Amino acid sequence: MEHIGVRETVQFMGLTFNWGTLCMTWLAMAVVIVISCLAVRSLKVIPKGWQNFIEIVVVWLQGQMENMMGKRGKLFAPFIVSLFLFLLTCNLLGLIPFLESPTNDLNTTLGMALMVVCIVHISGLYFKGGHYIAHFFQPFAPFVVINMIEEIAKPITLAFRLFGNILAGEILIIVLLHLVPIWMPIPSVLWLAFSIFISCVHAVIFTMLSMAYIGNAVKE
Amino acid sequence: MIEINATMVAQVLNFLILAAILRALAYKPVARMLQQRSDKIRETIDKADADKKAAEETLRQYKSQLADAQRRAQEIVDKAELTARQEREVLVAETKKEIDRMKQNAQAEIENERNRAFEQMKAEIVSLSLAAAEKIVEKNLTSKENDKLVGDFISGLDKDMFDEAK
Repeated sequence: MEHIGVRETVQFMGLTFNWGTLCMTWLAMAVVIVISCLAVRSLKVIPKGWQNFIEIVVVWLQGQMENMMGKRGKLFAPFIVSLFLFLLTCNLLGLIPFLESPTNDLNTTLGMALMVVCIVHISGLYFKGGHYIAHFFQPFAPFVVINMIEEIAKPITLAFRLFGNILAGEILIIVLLHLVPIWMPIPSVLWLAFSIFISCVHAVIFTMLSMAYIGNAVKE
Repeated sequence: MIEINATMVAQVLNFLILAAILRALAYKPVARMLQQRSDKIRETIDKADADKKAAEETLRQYKSQLADAQRRAQEIVDKAELTARQEREVLVAETKKEIDRMKQNAQAEIENERNRAFEQMKAEIVSLSLAAAEKIVEKNLTSKENDKLVGDFISGLDKDMFDEAK
């Protein structure tokens, strides 16, 4: 139990990196790329195998983007689809023995959340210009304080929600394995199943909230 | 446990690289395929609609042609019946004429036969009469006398007698 939360770090050009998180991220990236390659290897009009999975994800997310972001949503489609597949793979990776989720590291989730917020503001300024800045002062100028708090809360809530849930899930798996004897695996299995559900749900939540934030900024 | 360091930037870079790879590798081909599929489905539906319209038009034409053909067939049947009736009447009239003609021929033949029979009978009577007369008179007359006697006998016969004999 003592290894929970302890991360191996490496120094590179004077910067500190969490080596385990980076390795797991690269593994997740490789998995996503391999699945994508399998899906698009022989695209057919009638889909088979992984093509079904990728098409379901793409069609579903395209529909959500059209509802939340309007016509401009198509511009962000590759980003949103990649974000969902990446987060889903990262979340599920931690459920495999001896592996850990990159999303159980706050650096990953906060990085993603800050990136989303940056995209939100840059897109808002690009598509709406001055009106985008003006909307922070609506309905009255003093509201800028509340709006700023909201804007700051966005990445923090995004990051900590995902980080907390995934880390808690993995910690509880380890704790359950220590608490419950090996001949009674039902609690661990149940929690594992629940963690799979939670992993999927939080990938969806992160993606949907990102879409909603970007949609608010870019929708006509 | 919670330590923010350069991993955050590295993770953002990792994700951006992944997004760029996925965009080129997966998203574009899949989006193109989906577009192709929706185009194909739309095209198929449009074609099916067009085919349905064409089929309905063809069906309408066929029905019209069928009705026309039935009407013409009825006309032909009516005409054929009329012609047959007329021909039958003509044939019946011709047959009646033929029967009349045959009846007349038969009557004429009967008349001829009767006349011929009368002539034969007349000759028979002559010969019988001669034989009878010869026996009665038992006298052999000359041929000249015979002829005279017969001629007198014949001319002495009453014509009405033959009419009665008829």
